[in-house]
Amino acid sequence: MATHGDTLATVRPRVGRGGGVRDRPVLLLVLGLVALVVALILGVGVGTVAIDPGDTLRIVGHRFLGLDIPVTWSPATETIVVELRLPRVLTAMLVGCALAVAGATFQGLLRNPLADPYVLGTASGAALGAAIAVLLPVRLVFLEFGLIQGFAFIGALAAIYAVYKLSRIGGLSPLTSLLLTGYAVGSLLAAGLAMAMYLSGAALRQIFTYLLGSFDDATWPRFLATLPIILIASVAIMLRARSLNGLLLGEQAAAHLGIDVRHERRILLALATLVTAAAVAISGLIGFVGLVVPHVVRLLVGPSARLVLPLSAIGGAALLAYADILARVAGGIPVGVVTAIIGAPFFLLILRRARTGYEV
Amino acid sequence: MFPSSPSARRRVPPGAIATLMVALAFVLAACSVAGSSGAPPSPSVAFATITPVATPVPTTTTSPTPAPAFPATLTDDEGSAVTLKAEPQKIVSLTPASTEILFALGAGPRVVATTDFDDYPPAAVALPHVASYTAVDVEKIVGLGADLVIAGGNAFNPPEAITRLRGLGVPVLVVYAPDVAGVLKDIDLVGAAVGRADVSTAMTATMQAGFYAVAAATAGLPKPRTFYELDTSTGPIYTVADASFTEQMITLAGGDPITSGSKTDFAIPLEKLITADPELILLGDAAYGVTADQVKGRSGWKVMTAVKTGAIRPVNDLIVTRPGPRLVDGLRDLALAIHPDLVLPSFAPIPPAP
Amino acid sequence: MSAPIVELDAVTAAYRERRVLLDVSLRIEAGELVALIGPNGAGKSTLLAVATGLLRPLAGVVRLDGEPVETLERLEVARRMAVVPGAANLPFATRVEEVVALGRLPHEDPFRGARPADRAAIAGAIERVGIGHLLGRDARELSLGERQLVLIAMAVAQAAPILILDEPTVHLDLRHQVEAMELLVDLNERDGTTIIAVLHDLTLAAHFFPRLVLLDGGRVVADGPPPEVLRPDRIREVFGVDPGFVRLPQPTA
Repeated sequence: MATHGDTLATVRPRVGRGGGVRDRPVLLLVLGLVALVVALILGVGVGTVAIDPGDTLRIVGHRFLGLDIPVTWSPATETIVVELRLPRVLTAMLVGCALAVAGATFQGLLRNPLADPYVLGTASGAALGAAIAVLLPVRLVFLEFGLIQGFAFIGALAAIYAVYKLSRIGGLSPLTSLLLTGYAVGSLLAAGLAMAMYLSGAALRQIFTYLLGSFDDATWPRFLATLPIILIASVAIMLRARSLNGLLLGEQAAAHLGIDVRHERRILLALATLVTAAAVAISGLIGFVGLVVPHVVRLLVGPSARLVLPLSAIGGAALLAYADILARVAGGIPVGVVTAIIGAPFFLLILRRARTGYEV
Repeated sequence: MFPSSPSARRRVPPGAIATLMVALAFVLAACSVAGSSGAPPSPSVAFATITPVATPVPTTTTSPTPAPAFPATLTDDEGSAVTLKAEPQKIVSLTPASTEILFALGAGPRVVATTDFDDYPPAAVALPHVASYTAVDVEKIVGLGADLVIAGGNAFNPPEAITRLRGLGVPVLVVYAPDVAGVLKDIDLVGAAVGRADVSTAMTATMQAGFYAVAAATAGLPKPRTFYELDTSTGPIYTVADASFTEQMITLAGGDPITSGSKTDFAIPLEKLITADPELILLGDAAYGVTADQVKGRSGWKVMTAVKTGAIRPVNDLIVTRPGPRLVDGLRDLALAIHPDLVLPSFAPIPPAP
Repeated sequence: MSAPIVELDAVTAAYRERRVLLDVSLRIEAGELVALIGPNGAGKSTLLAVATGLLRPLAGVVRLDGEPVETLERLEVARRMAVVPGAANLPFATRVEEVVALGRLPHEDPFRGARPADRAAIAGAIERVGIGHLLGRDARELSLGERQLVLIAMAVAQAAPILILDEPTVHLDLRHQVEAMELLVDLNERDGTTIIAVLHDLTLAAHFFPRLVLLDGGRVVADGPPPEVLRPDRIREVFGVDPGFVRLPQPTA
């Protein structure tokens, strides 16, 4: 059959243009891991107390690798490196990974490039939970998780659950319904939060600190408790990359490509929510990571979730680790401010590149 | 968003009964001692014949034989048990009041860090800072090798930081004085914590006498309706909350305090203030440049008695509201602001020990 | 006699409480080239929805190779039937080859993704549909017609025995319409693919498809070769227009 395409096209056995980072995701992966290692070293070396970098490495080697190194540092220094800085850096990476994976998942699930982990009311739910925890005259600590962390976690989950249940009512397409309900519920919860803040008096400062997000209170127990949740849920999402890819052309097309849309949507929603809730519980509300990192990754390797998810995980971890370092170096400004400063210009850049709109 | 005056940042406590009891105690003591004839005692007579109700002034002129004070387990104002293995040598103070107490007790040389907003004594201002209005630098405190941290209760310092420090093995003593009696208690607590219990006992006794003297001096005087202005720069009018520390101070100083009407909210609506019609306005924000003329110029304030008679006086907010060793000075200042013709017996202010 | 590859057995279906298909029975054997025609609202798209298992009929059964479609897993259905989607809006920049690659989803290893066989199928589909000149371009920036061809290529890459198209020539210019039809004929003759296409263009349908199924008001009113189905009185009755007939040269085999 003669088509004019035949004469012009050169069909390659390997589909796609050669060259560029797009065809070498492994390279990106390695670069990302290197960036993480550097972030780890930098993160542990930076702080308000000046510590000799050599000492930092020696302490890590001595404590964690079991190397036989003569102890030449003070217990205070070791405490700072091991109990304060290390969990902080690791928590930043964990939260960054969680937010980026959740963001990529929500973007793919809702087929909306503006989606982020907080799009379905998670942020407002968590914030309201935290505010209520601050206002309650109760002191409860379990595994070093205070009332704030627990209530924030529950608040996030409860918000999405409410959104999911409410979105089933009505005749709109499930995706549109989810988005709109998420907006409505989020606004309602935000109003509740404003009320709580108004009534809080002096406790306002605590609520505010939570809203801005920080890693000041990162501890080993918190990190180790949230690590399995985030890792397992993230891996579970990555194993479902195929479903996310199928959704690229819409729910009907996905069904025709063999995806059980209803089932997959429910599971992906639950997993992404779990990841977000866990991240938000230990770090407060940090924005832009979940929105921007997946887009940057897509610019580099294309929209296939099989690549976007793991690379976003690494990218998010690195971004937040460096953002925290910057925040500390800049005098302890909230890390959410740094991610906004980095993220906003990036976001504008993405918007400029997305020249085509979404025609039906 | 936040009230700008530091004292307004303090959480207001429930303590109506405590306040009443303390004030009542002073007055009752004066009455009972003055004689059973029932005649209203004249302040000077009452003062001349009574002895302070407080604990007896210990005679510590001889060199003290130190009973082994450490290791010690103290209970702080939040009920936490704090164990000190040895006498603390590297003390960190996270509230300006605690800093003043430490220096007054003679533990100044052992203080290694304070806050951004410490201002007295001058020696303390030069020390490294480990806390700001919003955050506590846990890392720096650990880095300094602190063996005692004194923090402010009622969320004055972030509770998370206190938990964090304790989790890292640093003893943290949380102090919080909801009323004047609480201040003396805290001074004793800090005294015990730094091994200067003898000094603190003497100090609290002296302070108690000082409080008593002022209360006695103002006991029979007419009490003007007093409005204590904390801050109006951000819009709402901030004043003393119900059953608060400052409210108690005003009562002891011989005033009838106008409060915000709530224990947790410092703001008073203008309408309410006008209805309360203060006879005297004390400017706690005088240090920030607020003058009597400015007050007179505020719309709606003209109708108040205090504005009509010009009874608007500045007050050194720091010593009136800071729960530290200068509180007696604060009370005396306050009393003189409320009753300018008052004659108080002399009282040597407590200086920071060298 | 083996079971028909697609069979609708007395299917009644509703879409939002409005009955759109009324007691429709249809048998399509493997290797057939069938066009569904009819006026707007006749139920053509609903028939496709039912046939592909997306819409559950109120009555009747849909069978693929003799098995009721509702007993089949979606993945299995996707391996048997490829559907060319309507115009899709892509949320992210997606290259043409990446869109075509989506057609391999039902065959992909869930963990390892595309394998050489998949890549070969993708390349083959691109060549067959003739969109090699579009490689590397963002699918969102293509014209509607070009995008249509890409989606057809995606369905071709799916390499399923049944290919279903819902008005595939809507945005195509004349030459591409003809080429698309010739592609379908080629797939049918060379690979034995069963083609079921909803067409609004009676000329194209009559010219390229040996079997036409005429739907009107939710019922099958005619089913057979074009001369039989497209009788003037029937066209007048169903479409409400007076047809004129022109004899076209026969398509080359």
